[in-house]
Amino acid sequence: MALILRGVMQSPVTPLKEDFSLDIPTYEKLVDFHVRTGATAISWPHHKAESHNLTKEERMRGAEATVNAVHGRVPVSIHVSSMSVEDAMELAQHAQKIGADAIIAITPYFWAPSPDAIYDYFVRLGTSIDLPMIAYNSPAYLEGVEFTAELIERLLLRLPNLIAMKEASFNSEKFMEISRVALKVRPSFSIVAGVEFLAPSVPLGCVGSYSSAGAICPNLCTALFDASINGRSAEARELQFKLAALWDLFRDQYPSSLKGGMVAMGRYVGPTRPPLPTASKEREAFIAKKLEELGILDTEPHGW
Amino acid sequence: MSTFIPGLVHVPVTPFTPDLKIDFNTFEKIIAFHLQHGAQALAVQMHEGESVSLSDLEQRKVLDFVIKTVKGKVPVIAHVSDPGTAIAADRAQYAERAGAAAVIATSTYYWTPPANMVLEHFAAIGGAVKIPFYVLFTPDELGGTHHINADMMMKLIDRLPNFAGVADASLDWQFMINVVSNAWRKRPAFQLVAGNEYMVSAGAVGATSMFTSLAAIAPKRLQKLYEICRTEKYFDAREVQEDIVVLRQTLKPYGRGALKAAMRAMGRDVGQVRPPLDPLSPAEMEKLAADLKALKWLSSEPTGW
Repeated sequence: MALILRGVMQSPVTPLKEDFSLDIPTYEKLVDFHVRTGATAISWPHHKAESHNLTKEERMRGAEATVNAVHGRVPVSIHVSSMSVEDAMELAQHAQKIGADAIIAITPYFWAPSPDAIYDYFVRLGTSIDLPMIAYNSPAYLEGVEFTAELIERLLLRLPNLIAMKEASFNSEKFMEISRVALKVRPSFSIVAGVEFLAPSVPLGCVGSYSSAGAICPNLCTALFDASINGRSAEARELQFKLAALWDLFRDQYPSSLKGGMVAMGRYVGPTRPPLPTASKEREAFIAKKLEELGILDTEPHGW
Repeated sequence: MSTFIPGLVHVPVTPFTPDLKIDFNTFEKIIAFHLQHGAQALAVQMHEGESVSLSDLEQRKVLDFVIKTVKGKVPVIAHVSDPGTAIAADRAQYAERAGAAAVIATSTYYWTPPANMVLEHFAAIGGAVKIPFYVLFTPDELGGTHHINADMMMKLIDRLPNFAGVADASLDWQFMINVVSNAWRKRPAFQLVAGNEYMVSAGAVGATSMFTSLAAIAPKRLQKLYEICRTEKYFDAREVQEDIVVLRQTLKPYGRGALKAAMRAMGRDVGQVRPPLDPLSPAEMEKLAADLKALKWLSSEPTGW
C-alpha cells in the first residue's frame, strides 16, 4: 500500500489489564474504533502509547496486533525509537517483516547526539529497510535535540525512503525552516503536526496531524482538519481553541489523563504503567466534568 | 479600556554617528521612510532599536524626538523594559506624559525572580500608566530568565484594566493559543500581537497586529503579508511569508549588526551598532550584500530614502 499521509492520523494508547499486562483484545477494539471514526492512518506505539514502558517483545506483539486489526484499511506505521539504537534497528526489521507500511523514529534519546550522529543514525536506520520512513522531531521533550533544516536536507538527499516528518516543535520558525527546505528538495515530503496544532500549521504546508485527543473526540479532530485545510480560518481557530483546552487537560501526566478521560467516553483502557501515574477516580471525575463543559460528551461517540 | 489596535507596527533602528552618538538627522529620515512605507504605528527603542545600549536619558530623548517628528500621524509605542521594576515604571510614566499611545515591556533582564515577582514587575509597570500596556514575550532573547505563561497573563488581566495584549516573539503555538483563548473569555478586546514577522501562524490563532523591524528592508513585502493575513486568507499569504522568512534567515547568521548592514545595502546608511554588539566586517558586509542581491524579489523594494 502506498503511504499517503493526510488528515487526522491516530496513534492509539496501549490498553493494559489491571495487572499492567498488555490487553490485546481491547487494543484491537481501540484500533478498530479509530479506523471507523475517520483515522487516515494508524501509528503505534508513540510515547502516548507508553513506548518506553513496553519491552521489545511487547512492542513486537503490539505491532503485529496493529497490522492485523487494521487489516489493510489504512496505512500502518510502527514507531521504533528505543533507548538503544540496536533495539530500534531490530524493531524496524520486525515492522518490515510483519507487513507494516512504514516506520517512524525520533532523534536518539538521552545522549544529546550531534547533528552528524543523528544523520548517521537515520541513514543506518533508513537503509536497513525497504519501507518508507517518517522522522519525528520533538525538541522540547529532548532538551533541544532536533532536526534542523540543514540536517533534514542532508537526509533527504541521502534517503529516498524518508517521506515525512512528525513535527512537534509547535514553533513557527522551526516548522517553516523544515517545511521550506524539505519541500524544495522533495515536494512530495509530508509534514505532519504532532498533536492537533493544525490552524497555525496547515496554511504553511502541514498535511495533517498525529492526534492526541482522537480517542476522546474524533469528530472534533476531523472538523478542525476540514476547517483548516479548506481555509475556514475563523472556524478553525475556534475548534483549535477547544482542542488546545483538551490538550492542556491531557498533557498533564500524558497519557494517564487521556486514559482517564477515555473512561468518561465509555472506552476503558485500564491503568498506566509506572513510573507514570494512573489517573485517580478524582482525576477521572475532574476530566469528565471538563469534557462535559466543553460539550464533548454530547458530540462525540460513546463506547466502542 | 482603550480600543487602541496597533496594526502594522514598524520598529525603527536607532541610528548612530561614526562616534556612536544618536544621529537625529538620520533618525528623521528613518521615521519619514517608515511613515511613507506603510507603518500604522511605530514602536521605538525596542531591542532592534538597541534599547539596552541607550542610557535612560537617551531613551527619553529618542521618545520625545520620535513623537515630535511623527506629529501624530501614527501612534507611537514606547518600549520601557528595565531590570529594575521602579525604573521601568518611571520610564512608562515618562512615556505617557510624552504622548506615547502605549507602552510595552518584557520580563526582567538579568534577574531571575520567581513567577509571582515577575507578575508584580508587570503589574507595577502597567499600573503606573493609564495608556494601554503590552507584555513582550521574547524567551529566545532572555535565555532562561523568562517566567511568562498564560496563567500569569490571566492574573495580569485581573489586575490591570489597561493590559491590552501580548506581543509574542516566542513563536510558540501553545503559548499563543493558551493566552488568547483564555484571555478572550476575560477580556474580549485583548490582543495577540505577532512580535515579529511570523504573521501567518500568529494570525491564524488570533493575532491582529504585527511588529516588524524588517520593514526597514522590505516594507512592501511586509505590508502585503500583513494585509493578506488581515483578510484571513492564510494560504494566500504563504508565499510572501516564506520570502520574509528567507530574508530573516539570511540576516540571522550575521548577528545583531545585520539589520543596519542590510539597510546600508538598501541605500539607507544608519551607521553601526553600538558596543558590545559587533558591526559587520567589510568582508561580511560584502557577503551580506551579495546574499541580499540573490533574493530576486528584493529588487522591487525601495532603495535609498
